[in-house]
Amino acid sequence: MKKLALDLNDVTKTFQKDDGYITAVDKVSLQVEEGEMVTFLGPSGCGKTTTLRMVAGFELPTSGSITIRGSDMTNTPVNKRKIGFVFQNYALFPHMSVYNNVAYGLKARGEKDKDIRDKVRDALVMVGLVDTENRYPSQLSGGEQQRVALARVIVMEPNLLLMDEPLSNLDAKLRIHMRTEIRRLQKKLGITCLYVTHDQSEALSMADRIVVMNKGKVEQVGTAFEIYSNPQSLFVADFIGQANIIHLKVTSLAEDVIGVQTHNGGVFSARCIIPDHIDSSVESYEVGKDAALVIRPESLTVIPYKGGEETFNAVVSSSVFVGSHVEYELTLPNNEMIKAFIPYTNNMQIFKEEEQVSFMIDPVNALFLPRKKNKP
Amino acid sequence: MSTTRVEHTRRSMAKRDPVLFGTLVAIWIIFAIFIFLPIIKLLSTTFVVDGSISFTNLIKIMGKSYNIRALYNSLILATAVAVTGTVLGYIFALAVTRTSLPPFFKGLLAAVTILPLISPPFTSSISLTLALGPNGMLLRALGITDFSIYGFIGTWISETLTYFPVAFMVITAVLNTMSANLDDAALSLGSSRWRMFRTITIPLSLPGIGNSILLLFGASLADFATPLILGGHTFPVLPTEAYLMITGMFDLKGGASLSFLLLIPALLVFILQRVLIGKKSYVSVTGKNGAKSAFGKLPHLLTAIISAVCAITVVFILYLYAIILWGSLVKVWGVNNTVTLQHFKYVFAHGKKAITDTLLIAVLSTVIGSILGVVIGYIAQRKNFFGKRFFEFGSMLNYALPGTVVGIAYIIAFNQKPILLTGTLAILVAAYVFRYYATGIRSVIASLAQIDPALEEASLSLGANSLRTFTHVTIPLIIPAVLAGMRYLFIHSMTAISATIFLVSVRWTLLTTRILESMTELQFSQASAFSIVLIIIVFVVDAIMLALMKWSTRKFTQQESISYEKIGA
Repeated sequence: MKKLALDLNDVTKTFQKDDGYITAVDKVSLQVEEGEMVTFLGPSGCGKTTTLRMVAGFELPTSGSITIRGSDMTNTPVNKRKIGFVFQNYALFPHMSVYNNVAYGLKARGEKDKDIRDKVRDALVMVGLVDTENRYPSQLSGGEQQRVALARVIVMEPNLLLMDEPLSNLDAKLRIHMRTEIRRLQKKLGITCLYVTHDQSEALSMADRIVVMNKGKVEQVGTAFEIYSNPQSLFVADFIGQANIIHLKVTSLAEDVIGVQTHNGGVFSARCIIPDHIDSSVESYEVGKDAALVIRPESLTVIPYKGGEETFNAVVSSSVFVGSHVEYELTLPNNEMIKAFIPYTNNMQIFKEEEQVSFMIDPVNALFLPRKKNKP
Repeated sequence: MSTTRVEHTRRSMAKRDPVLFGTLVAIWIIFAIFIFLPIIKLLSTTFVVDGSISFTNLIKIMGKSYNIRALYNSLILATAVAVTGTVLGYIFALAVTRTSLPPFFKGLLAAVTILPLISPPFTSSISLTLALGPNGMLLRALGITDFSIYGFIGTWISETLTYFPVAFMVITAVLNTMSANLDDAALSLGSSRWRMFRTITIPLSLPGIGNSILLLFGASLADFATPLILGGHTFPVLPTEAYLMITGMFDLKGGASLSFLLLIPALLVFILQRVLIGKKSYVSVTGKNGAKSAFGKLPHLLTAIISAVCAITVVFILYLYAIILWGSLVKVWGVNNTVTLQHFKYVFAHGKKAITDTLLIAVLSTVIGSILGVVIGYIAQRKNFFGKRFFEFGSMLNYALPGTVVGIAYIIAFNQKPILLTGTLAILVAAYVFRYYATGIRSVIASLAQIDPALEEASLSLGANSLRTFTHVTIPLIIPAVLAGMRYLFIHSMTAISATIFLVSVRWTLLTTRILESMTELQFSQASAFSIVLIIIVFVVDAIMLALMKWSTRKFTQQESISYEKIGA
């Protein structure tokens, strides 16, 4: 049987704050295969960094277990875990040259001087930094510092590479360049990597799998495609990309298909996501109650006003041409707002503000999502 | 529930961080012996009579009008010195931060205020005696015959000159955090310069003024050397009374009770000062933003007065130091003005032991105190553990208490078995270490607060253990702060006397006690020669320390990168 690179089992972290306790990470379980790149995505304060810091050993879990390559490391000190951690601000030692920064861990491990020299050189070549050995961190650009931080970690050949928003201090262009660079390096070395970010394009473009977190809990784990096309909760749908959420009255329930009444009195039915495991916090749908219909702006088709029951009707409240497509904001009869992105083609009709339009939804691209209790 | 939680953390700390656990245990033991035991012994000597708690000793002491007068004098003197020292310090601070006086003059002001800070505390007393005492130079020059420097006046002037530099430093720091834009705003709103000074400058510097008054009050209250030389019999104060009671009458109980009277106001001042500093001043909020425009808009008359006061003070201080130098070079002060080196010959012949003893004690205290300071500062800033606040308070206690109190507490605690230390080198070093390592602790804490914990985490995650992380990452980054602490420790271990006067012996003697002996034997020239030697040693070492601090700060700030805003020197 293949050993997992990392196995998190119900990992929980509670912090004491003032007179109460705050659960920063709530029963997070995750299995990561060797060589996998997993990104943690979520809004700030969702617990993604705390999870990463627990894997590193900077924080100890309140409960649950952390297993790295088959051995239980839940309470192992950081320096015995053989992990590599890349910090948001790189945390290069300002009083050491690039060489000494990269050699730091090898020296602590007590390797021979000659081996250290060779390994440091190799690592610096690998990150594309040659002839900087004698320089100090302050003499390097942000991108170069980032590479030194990477070299310092990969030279140790760690069991796990942990990265905490490593690109957030770089400018936009460099950030996109470094994404591919890091991904290339990670694949080449076959190193297992956990990567925390709040930038969704970073998370989607770099990862084999993405862990979406919210309020200390894992909302969904999956590939970029799965997360985008099959969000399992309203939070994921809303957080990844853009999503319209339309509240409609349930008229029929069958297997995993829900029928609802549209504002015009027509009937629309689409798939309904059933959560993987029954969760008591999820409200089940009932006939006569509201259901949330989720649809991506690019999955709508806007047509001239038709009236009648076959389509949805709306009023254009803003219409913006942005080159590749036209962005509409539509107001529904119940004053809900939805967005529609229509790809630009020659001779297409562009609707103006205040104009009455109709739009259509392809049931294949629409989803009914379970809602958490206590949420509108 | 709560007890199990505490037990859990305690057990896991011993297991998880054995180094921290061991260090904490060792430090608590050291604190118990050198900080808590002496003060407990002092209190029990005062309050325990025949095995039960009693106020007899205190009542006996309070019953003597002489002691009541000493208490009264101490408080009056401390108040007077706090007020005049703060006013003088404020004037100097205004001159440096708010006037357009030439940079040379400002540099001179800053340099001259350093002199009293690094000289033995009774330097100004000696030179005031030489200038205004019997046969005083200045008195004869002015033709005044019926003036006595001894008593309140002399002590007051001398302590003001000794301690105003503290006020100057504290207030300068506060004035520097203010934005000149506030002055501009006031003037642009039609305020006059006087009104601006009254309604903007003074109110915003109140935190500095308050802190300065408390610091000077505490310093004067604790000062021992100045009233011993200049107070005379007409102006007894608590520290000198306690000293005489112990060395003259061998009355430990009486001395302990007197020092208890001294301890109360000193602790009050310390606590008040903590509270004041604890509250962040509202000044800093306006300090950072906005383009810096130049100060220099004080009322013209005020600028003139400030310049005059500063000039006179500077001349007077330089004159006092010149007198000491002159005094060390003449045959007999006031009688025979032939220049001679005989006093220095005497110092190096008969005072050699005092010089080497003092140096040895100062070096030992500096090294031990710095190591302790780094460890305590690191633990206090970076670690969380049970009883942390009490730990911090304990580490600072000897610093907060007047030296006389510490000295008396030490002889009471250590003159009998099981810990018999009186007459040893150890007791002198311990007295200096625990009184003067406080600055080191504070600067280490401040410096660590500037360093991103990610640097230490990076080291740990690269496989280095916590000891290697400490020696290879933490220590190099706080070297400037450590040196600042060492500088303070060395200066005070060379010059301070109030605690150690009780602890010197035939085996171990100090330069400062030799100066005091020479003064009481009216050997002014010898006292001057000893002082000059001491001042030169301190000056040279201080200059070296300062250069090292500058060098190390530059070394690390140069390598500081843009992404390390948090480090800084």
